[in-house]
Amino acid sequence: MVPLRVRSSYSLLRATGSPAALCRLAVTLGYATLALTDRDNLYGLWSFLAACRREQLHPIVGAELSETEGDRVVTCLVKNIDGYRNLSLLLSKRHAGELDVEKDLGGHAEGLFLLGRDRELLEILHQQGVQVAADLGPRPTEAGRSLREWAKLRGVPAVATPDSALGKEEDQDLYLLLRAIAHNTSISRLGEVEPPEVQYVLEPPSVYRERFAVWPEVIGATERLAAECAFAGPAFGIIMPPWRHDHEGEAGRMLRLKAYQGACRRYGDDLGEPVVERLEHELRVIEEMGYSSYFLVVRDIVHRKGADGHRIKRRICGRGSGAASLVAYCLEITNVCPIKHNLYFERFLNPGRTDPPDIDVDFAWDERDTVLQEVLSDFAGHSAMVANHIMFQPRMAIRETAKAFGMPGSEISRLTKRLPWLADRNEGSLQQRLEQLPTLRDQDLSEPWPEILTLAARLIGIPRYLSVHPGGVVITPRPIREYVPVEYAAKGVPIIQWEKDGTEEAGLVKIDILGNRSLGVIRDAVKAVQRQGGELDEMHWNPEDDQRTRSGVARGTTMGCFYIESPAMRLLQQKAGSGDFEQLVIQSSIIRPAANEFVREYVRRLHGGAWQPLHPSVGDVLDETFGLMVYQEDVSRVAVAMAGFSHARADGLRKVMSKKDKELRLADYREQFYRGCGERNIGAEDIDRVWKMMMSFDGYSFCKPHSASYARVSYQAAYLKHHHPAEFMAAVISNQGGYYSTMAYVSEAKRLGLTILHPDVNRSNERWSGEKRTIRVGLQAIQGLSQKSMARIVTTREQRSFSDPVDFWSRVLPAEDEARALIHAGGMDSLDTGGNRTMLLWQWASFQRNRTLSATHTLFPVRLPEPPPLSPPDQRSRLMREYGVLGFLCDYHPMVLMGRLPGGLVKMVDAPRHVGRRIRCAGWLLTGKLVSTKTGEVMEFLTFEDDTGMLETTFFPEAYRRAAHILQSGRGYILTGIVEADYGALTLTVEQVSAIGEGARPRPGSAQL
Amino acid sequence: MYRERSILHFNVADFAVAVERVADSSLARRPLIIAPPAAARSVVFDMSEEAYQAGVQKGMFLNQATRLCREATVLQPRVELYRRAMAGFLKRVQYYSPQVEHGVEDGHLFVDVTGTHRLFGPAQDVGLRVRREVRDGLGINPIWTLAGNKLVAKVSSRLVKPVGEYIVAPGEEEVFLAPLQIGLLPGVYGKELRTMGELQISTIGQLAGLSPRQLMVVFGSRASWLHGASRGHDDSMVMGGVQEAMPVDHEHCFTPDTNDRQEVEAALATLIARVGSELRARGKAARRVGIWLRYSDGNHVVRQASVKEGTCSDFGLRRLAMDALQRAWLRRTRLRSIRLVCDRLHRQSPQLTLFPETSVETRRQEKLLGAMDAIRGRYGKRVIALGRQCPDEPEPDNTDVVFH
Repeated sequence: MVPLRVRSSYSLLRATGSPAALCRLAVTLGYATLALTDRDNLYGLWSFLAACRREQLHPIVGAELSETEGDRVVTCLVKNIDGYRNLSLLLSKRHAGELDVEKDLGGHAEGLFLLGRDRELLEILHQQGVQVAADLGPRPTEAGRSLREWAKLRGVPAVATPDSALGKEEDQDLYLLLRAIAHNTSISRLGEVEPPEVQYVLEPPSVYRERFAVWPEVIGATERLAAECAFAGPAFGIIMPPWRHDHEGEAGRMLRLKAYQGACRRYGDDLGEPVVERLEHELRVIEEMGYSSYFLVVRDIVHRKGADGHRIKRRICGRGSGAASLVAYCLEITNVCPIKHNLYFERFLNPGRTDPPDIDVDFAWDERDTVLQEVLSDFAGHSAMVANHIMFQPRMAIRETAKAFGMPGSEISRLTKRLPWLADRNEGSLQQRLEQLPTLRDQDLSEPWPEILTLAARLIGIPRYLSVHPGGVVITPRPIREYVPVEYAAKGVPIIQWEKDGTEEAGLVKIDILGNRSLGVIRDAVKAVQRQGGELDEMHWNPEDDQRTRSGVARGTTMGCFYIESPAMRLLQQKAGSGDFEQLVIQSSIIRPAANEFVREYVRRLHGGAWQPLHPSVGDVLDETFGLMVYQEDVSRVAVAMAGFSHARADGLRKVMSKKDKELRLADYREQFYRGCGERNIGAEDIDRVWKMMMSFDGYSFCKPHSASYARVSYQAAYLKHHHPAEFMAAVISNQGGYYSTMAYVSEAKRLGLTILHPDVNRSNERWSGEKRTIRVGLQAIQGLSQKSMARIVTTREQRSFSDPVDFWSRVLPAEDEARALIHAGGMDSLDTGGNRTMLLWQWASFQRNRTLSATHTLFPVRLPEPPPLSPPDQRSRLMREYGVLGFLCDYHPMVLMGRLPGGLVKMVDAPRHVGRRIRCAGWLLTGKLVSTKTGEVMEFLTFEDDTGMLETTFFPEAYRRAAHILQSGRGYILTGIVEADYGALTLTVEQVSAIGEGARPRPGSAQL
Repeated sequence: MYRERSILHFNVADFAVAVERVADSSLARRPLIIAPPAAARSVVFDMSEEAYQAGVQKGMFLNQATRLCREATVLQPRVELYRRAMAGFLKRVQYYSPQVEHGVEDGHLFVDVTGTHRLFGPAQDVGLRVRREVRDGLGINPIWTLAGNKLVAKVSSRLVKPVGEYIVAPGEEEVFLAPLQIGLLPGVYGKELRTMGELQISTIGQLAGLSPRQLMVVFGSRASWLHGASRGHDDSMVMGGVQEAMPVDHEHCFTPDTNDRQEVEAALATLIARVGSELRARGKAARRVGIWLRYSDGNHVVRQASVKEGTCSDFGLRRLAMDALQRAWLRRTRLRSIRLVCDRLHRQSPQLTLFPETSVETRRQEKLLGAMDAIRGRYGKRVIALGRQCPDEPEPDNTDVVFH
């Protein structure tokens, strides 16, 4: 018996077992072959193949294909590569809604075996000469009997199939939960939307043999059928994107030409020896490895030719190891000079490398979609984006399960919003883990939560849906549907059915086209500076050599600057105090989770502290980074030096660290590393220490070229901030998505001495604008004002300025909420001669009434009746409303809204005068970051500010446990703690915290009779 | 002929708490929360002023409430007891006037004592006397206020809450209201209140200062009511006694809240049985059945089903109720309560039709229900029920307090 029809959890919300678990189960039950047939997809193909390799099972690739409309299902099993192509095509058609089972299955059945239960359909397919088999399911039934008779009559095989959806027998309730989630209903009401159906689990061969003892041939038939399916997964080799004019050698010649032309632009006509030598070397390797056309395609994408034949120069930032290539720099795919900054080309490409390299490029966030659209239309039918397989994570699992249990949304959010962080491999049940979280100290986890959490825990890791990878695009020489099934994401872009790792395993080269907010910031700020007559020649702009910029970086005044604005980064810059480009490259790499002790060590060594190499065998490999492993490639280099790894193997180790599900493969490398070091007589203690250090690169780390490429953008931002603060801060806020809230950036702008001008319907643009020492709030800051209305305000104003409120309302026609928001934000103040926002509100109401009464527009200007004498709002109400629609205050710090504060508070700007002493201060919580201590306890770093300055604080585990449940950003607190200084960086170690503004409440009138 | 009216308003703040405190004097001055405590996810039914100040609110989850007010005593609601207390209260008031308007067990009473001067003396004496009688007889100390209409009497009660008395002399309504906060005006809530806040209208007097035309600009069709109310005008009558056409209305609270189909249908069956026997007892048939669902997140849905020919049979009511439930219950969030309202009542004709239109089955059902009603009448409501009903749990009533 061979199980020919088994669904895994990749049959989204229709099955419970993972491919790995199913393979394990199959082996335990004594099967040697297993077919995975998920519903309408090949999502799980690569994890299935990997599991089969591990378990030494023979895989049969397949899928269940369902009708778009109707409920007929056919199971397709792949016999050979033609069958695979056909299946991929059929699945793509199914997702495009173009599938007609009767016609398409006939036309694309080559290389496939089709199992079905619908006799009519089988008959049609059989007559078209398709290889079909009758699927009798997991037990003999009446329907099965007549199907078998039909099969006998036609000489077609009839087979028993497990038709299983459960990973194990006890998954019945999990399956019901999945169905309830799929239908947005509760488990008890699932029967109303879907007829209850018994679900099966894969059972031992003997069970099927016994059950089908009446028709013994249907068991034997499965084996004969399986024997025909020798296909064990696609093996394409490396699939490069095709270049338009790629004839014999043409690509190589063209790349050489373009690289030299670019070099002359970069370095001047007289190229020095190092440049020429390096170019020649790189071009040779690229040519040998057959990557010339790949470079040219990327160049076409990045700087696409416009209709006029000229290339459009886009602001970009090459990321990843590609930045180590001089050829890429000359093609303007990347922006840092690899010679100047010592970036090794081998990190990117070397003849020993067997996996495809990827060139990743950042575009301004608002230009990225255009670039993607261009690629997808230039290579229509040959390109698609990479998918992300979204699995249930703890938060989503809890949320979805609780919803199926009918818990009210607010109650669920109360729990899930406070789930900051759940380590995956913690011990204990989900409930025990939640109960230990300090943020959930107040949470009630009584009935029915225990039941919800038990079920939710089993949901974690099950695939939920497909989303689009942030920027990965695959381009193929032949139609892409021949390589991989393609479907369409909600926003309409084509995506392949595999995620990043599967794509790579299949050999499909991916190009990452990503959005980057800061490129938009720099673009807008540079434009604003130039518009106002400032001079900035970008081709020869070297912000890393500018004194003012360097000193700013050294002081950590880099809020708003790309990649170096987080509190941790700013504190590190202050401690380092160097402002050096090379150091910044190190700093932006060294800050990563699980590397705190290395950060401290780095600062100590930077300031002249003594240090020894990691191990004598490492030699001077890490001298540049003071003997510390900082970059991804350092892992490989140390593995080569200490354990004698080959370069390719060491590169493999580096790569596997950033993968999911790496445990198994990593164990292999660990074994080899320990053995290699052991052979070189390195002490066990040293091996342990270095291996642990390597493991700190787990999941999140950068290579040097990437860091350098990013550091360049950081310096550009820092330059703009320190030379053109108004233009820069306006661009930061306009582009949104920075590390801090708009309010925090507004405060920073005020600290820079800038004046924040109220939004004004006659002066504000959609975006914020900065000029000299002032920033004008953009209309985009007004909550509830639609994109359409903003555009209408700006275009209407171009014809003629608004003369009074009625003029504005009758020409712009804002919605009720919009008009009120504009008034509260102060956007109408300039039109209001009386300076009374209450009157404006009245006039608006009056205007609205007038408009509803006179359905037709009058020729004559609208005249409103005289409003009653209403007093203007008191200052507090005015500011509260302003804060309500803007989220910040133009003239004050929101702390003024918190009422009277206790005496004896220290202002944050004065904190440096209290180093080593205990102070009490009032602060507004901006942002925070949770970390875990060595012993696994949770602590938090929080950033507070008041009207004078910002203060970084540390909540050690005990203080954090006490305070976590009251801390939320966007409100004020009284903090008591000790001011500490470390290499000039100031922090407050908080001992006590209390929220401001919690008092007795007035009781509203009693209920009405 | 226009005659000045005298309306008394009696109000016992936190009625359930007041009654419990009478039942157990050791509870006086201790924070008190009334909620079904045994079950998980039960919600607060009522609470004392002390508990309110600690942050407890009606409808809040009990375990959240007890965390806010750790020292509070939690008592199980005894609706029957409150109803009896209310009846005792009512009995004393009804002695003075047949025109008494009241809620179910919420401690609010309007009494129209217009023209009773010769019988009982001036209205304020009645107020004083009722208060004294209620205090001495029931141990509850109600607020009493006197005014020319319900609106002003109610505002006065709100003003003196939680204890006290107030008299607004005829003609002084406007002056009395003028300095008061706008929030004290009954019937002004939510969006209107916010709009007034935005327009810097904070007192009732400021509202009264606006002309109907001006009010129309902002409040549209509500303008004339607001104009009258802000000046203390209110012509509404005190509606006393059970009205002929008063709908039959029963509610079931789920503790804990639920979204289990069986449980909800069982609760509905129980409500139907209750409504059915009440209709039959009153000799009425309902042409419309409404289902009111309250979800645990506070959302409300009401759906109705109606027929031309009224029914009072449990089976007929069930058909309508299930139809309404089908359309009302669309979300998967848990239900906190379900309410069954039967209205458009008409008198059941005792005369039989000449040609029976009803089927044999219907007639058998009618006979069955008749027999069940008879058994219930003789041996108590809980002795017999349809299988689909949820078992009625008797509410705890082990106190020997007597309100009469």
